Amino acid sequence: MGRVAEWFAERVPISGLELRELTNEPVPNHLKRWWFCLGGTPAYLFVVQIFTGILLAFYYQPAPNTAYESVRFITEDAAFGWYLRSLHKWGATLMIAAVILHQMRVYFTAAYRRPRELNWVIGMCLLMATLLTGFTGYSLVFEQLSYWGATVAANISDAVPVVGHVAKRMLLAGDAYNALTLPRFYILHAAVLPTTIILLLVVHISFIRLHGITELDDGAASQEAGHYDFFPDHLLTEIIIGLVLMILLSVLATVLPAMMGPKADPLVTPEEIKPEWFFYVSFRWLKLFSLSFAVLSTGFIIGAMFLWPWIDAALRKITRNEDISVYIGILATLTLIGLTVWEALATH
Amino acid sequence: MSVKAKQVIIAVLGLVFLASLILVQWMEVIRRREEAGLAPHRVAIPVSSMSCVKCHQQSSPGIIDHWKGSTHAVKGVGCVECHQAQKDDVDAFDHYGATIATIVTPRDCSRCHKTEFTEFVNSHHALAGNILASLDNRLAETVEGARVPFNPHSPTPGRDDATMVNGMASVNVGCKQCHGSKVALEASDGSLITVDELKPDENGKPTNPEAVAAVRRDADGRPLLHESSWPNTGIGRINLDGSRGSCSACHSRHDFSPRRARQPENCGKCHLGPDHPQKEIYEESKHGVAYRDLREHMNLNAHEWVLGKDYTQAPTCATCHMSGHSRNGGRVTHDPGERISWTNRPPVSLVMDTDAEGRVIKETDPAKRREQIASSWQEKREAMKQVCLHCHTKNYVNAFYKQYDDFVINYNEKFAKPGQKIMAGLREQKLITPAQFDEEIEWTWFYLWHHEGRRARHGASMMAPDYAHWHGMYEVAERFYMELIPQAREIAEHAAESGQSDQAAAVLALIDEVLARPEHQWFEQEKKAREGSNEAANDSADNASE
Repeated sequence: MGRVAEWFAERVPISGLELRELTNEPVPNHLKRWWFCLGGTPAYLFVVQIFTGILLAFYYQPAPNTAYESVRFITEDAAFGWYLRSLHKWGATLMIAAVILHQMRVYFTAAYRRPRELNWVIGMCLLMATLLTGFTGYSLVFEQLSYWGATVAANISDAVPVVGHVAKRMLLAGDAYNALTLPRFYILHAAVLPTTIILLLVVHISFIRLHGITELDDGAASQEAGHYDFFPDHLLTEIIIGLVLMILLSVLATVLPAMMGPKADPLVTPEEIKPEWFFYVSFRWLKLFSLSFAVLSTGFIIGAMFLWPWIDAALRKITRNEDISVYIGILATLTLIGLTVWEALATH
Repeated sequence: MSVKAKQVIIAVLGLVFLASLILVQWMEVIRRREEAGLAPHRVAIPVSSMSCVKCHQQSSPGIIDHWKGSTHAVKGVGCVECHQAQKDDVDAFDHYGATIATIVTPRDCSRCHKTEFTEFVNSHHALAGNILASLDNRLAETVEGARVPFNPHSPTPGRDDATMVNGMASVNVGCKQCHGSKVALEASDGSLITVDELKPDENGKPTNPEAVAAVRRDADGRPLLHESSWPNTGIGRINLDGSRGSCSACHSRHDFSPRRARQPENCGKCHLGPDHPQKEIYEESKHGVAYRDLREHMNLNAHEWVLGKDYTQAPTCATCHMSGHSRNGGRVTHDPGERISWTNRPPVSLVMDTDAEGRVIKETDPAKRREQIASSWQEKREAMKQVCLHCHTKNYVNAFYKQYDDFVINYNEKFAKPGQKIMAGLREQKLITPAQFDEEIEWTWFYLWHHEGRRARHGASMMAPDYAHWHGMYEVAERFYMELIPQAREIAEHAAESGQSDQAAAVLALIDEVLARPEHQWFEQEKKAREGSNEAANDSADNASE
């Protein structure tokens, strides 16, 4: 051992071999198929978001009279600003898509079932935190659409019984969009929500390590039963996924860079208000029903999603059908896609 | 997949990722070069304009090259987007399958630039065409030329096309090129068809089908624009669709460069010369001196060009009168009158209280005046002060305005109002004809207020001492004492000799009343005293001889 290594070993008494042993968990063979690796994808993208977000924060000024101009400065004047902002924008889109795909994989492989119910709940919390981060980030640009999107969202939350009005006031820092709203969105977006996500991720990954990765329980999987090493085999797979993601992000950022819409004008309501794509489903849902029904039913659906491991257990007991969740999942997925596409195509 | 295979894939992907970062770096370099003007920016030719660009690149490459340098070209706004017309537009014609019009009016620009259009139509610039058939125009139409064609004295050697002389030539190339023409189409009977005949509705569509039917067209079906009205980019052009103005007066076609519009040379197309040398006045001022020295640091290519954010080195015409600044949230205005508190255009300067239509209020009754005011001169001055405060203290700005106000009021009260009074007296007593410019004193008076008086006032407004004094008040005073007063007296004396003694006495009394005021007493006090003592001496000599 060299003198430098000795110096470090003395001060940081962690054995590399022990650490490797500790972390080198056997990985089930089915993870050699890429779609079982979607759980790591949002984590990758989260790192990209933090990195690009910090650089953007050097220039962003969260106040109504400076926000739009600072975003314009980033996009048009600052060196590589357009690239970083585009990476951040596409990173958010891919991260939300990856979280949803990961959740669908977990759902359809029933990986949430006993004893992993609590990790599903943590995952649901992560989904909510990710969506909220996306929403607050979109609002920071202070474009017409993001401004009015935030206003509409606040009005929707106002319709929630009992807590709705308080939630709206907490979100907007007052009864209406005001000078304190943007700083509040910024603190939520850049500090509170990322910290929450990091804490939840620690718990989420800890649970995975404690429970071990779910073994696939079907006929096909039995053929590939067995395990392989995390180091270096699975790590290399993750690096490949990471590189593919970075290339994809880079291509999206250069081919379809983030643009500037018209600046927010509180006096002019745009003819068409649309949220970000990941809220299309709830926006269409709102348009289909009365506000109070839409809000209550959305709350009910989200509540059911949180409690799904237990609802699923009960349904299986009642119906004596082990695949009942798959049928419900297919129905829910088709509804989700249908409503999203409908909203995307609709002009109003 | 083996570990070895994965390592190979990672190596390949790593190289691809590295290549993507190099691509980003390359894009950034290109962008920076474009911004610095070292490389031409990318041009997006819309499909609808591709054939126009292809053909005009050969036939008139200047148009295309200018357009390629525009923001329009970057944003994919091509020829058809601006020149497009509907079949029911009077000047529309089919051009290789596209329905277009030659002249792009502010109404056309307003399809995208609505706010700018609204501000512009409320500005004095948009009314510049009202000069047609005014006092100034009488000069060009009648005095310099002739309202009707006339016979040449003799043929011009080498030219056999001179039949009749176009007496309106001076108006067409002079007045109208700044003030704007009334765009006219040729009618098949030889008359002209303008907005007056077409009577366009609020959407700019003609409501008089007879006038539309009478428009003469060439063999290709193109309506013929009369050369008395086009080419023309005068700022108050009166267009066939009823809109006023020409955006290309300031935003020269076809590159519509914001950079150019921000520079004083752009305004200098019209705002210079003996009667309103604003550009020369600016150049003499400290503002102009600083601009000449520091223009390279003024970020003239900036996207928004906000004073206090993008630059502070010096103001240009645009800075003070139009551009956004850090104290107004960067809001640009296309009404240069929004920050002007005196109008120094008329013989007697007026404060810029304006009504709802942007016209200067001339009402003298205070109560009625208050009712008409939509925007007061104080508001306008405050708006200008907000610009000044970027570089000057409040005390400095207020003291400057005190100096400026005092100067204008001194000019108004000492020379303009008395001059106006004497001219009105001569006209009232019928000692001069109602026709303008047929008597020497009318030229004298015109020089006094229209040339020298404006030079003085504009010089004071923009802190150019030489224009305020030597090119201004000095010449005003000389013109008043040495020409206007003697000429008025001479007219009166001639009138008295020819039997109009009452009229002559009235004018002479008026002149004496003016000169008896304390500010003019210096002029004849000593001469009168000397004349008085001479008369007394003569009287005593006479008495002695008797």
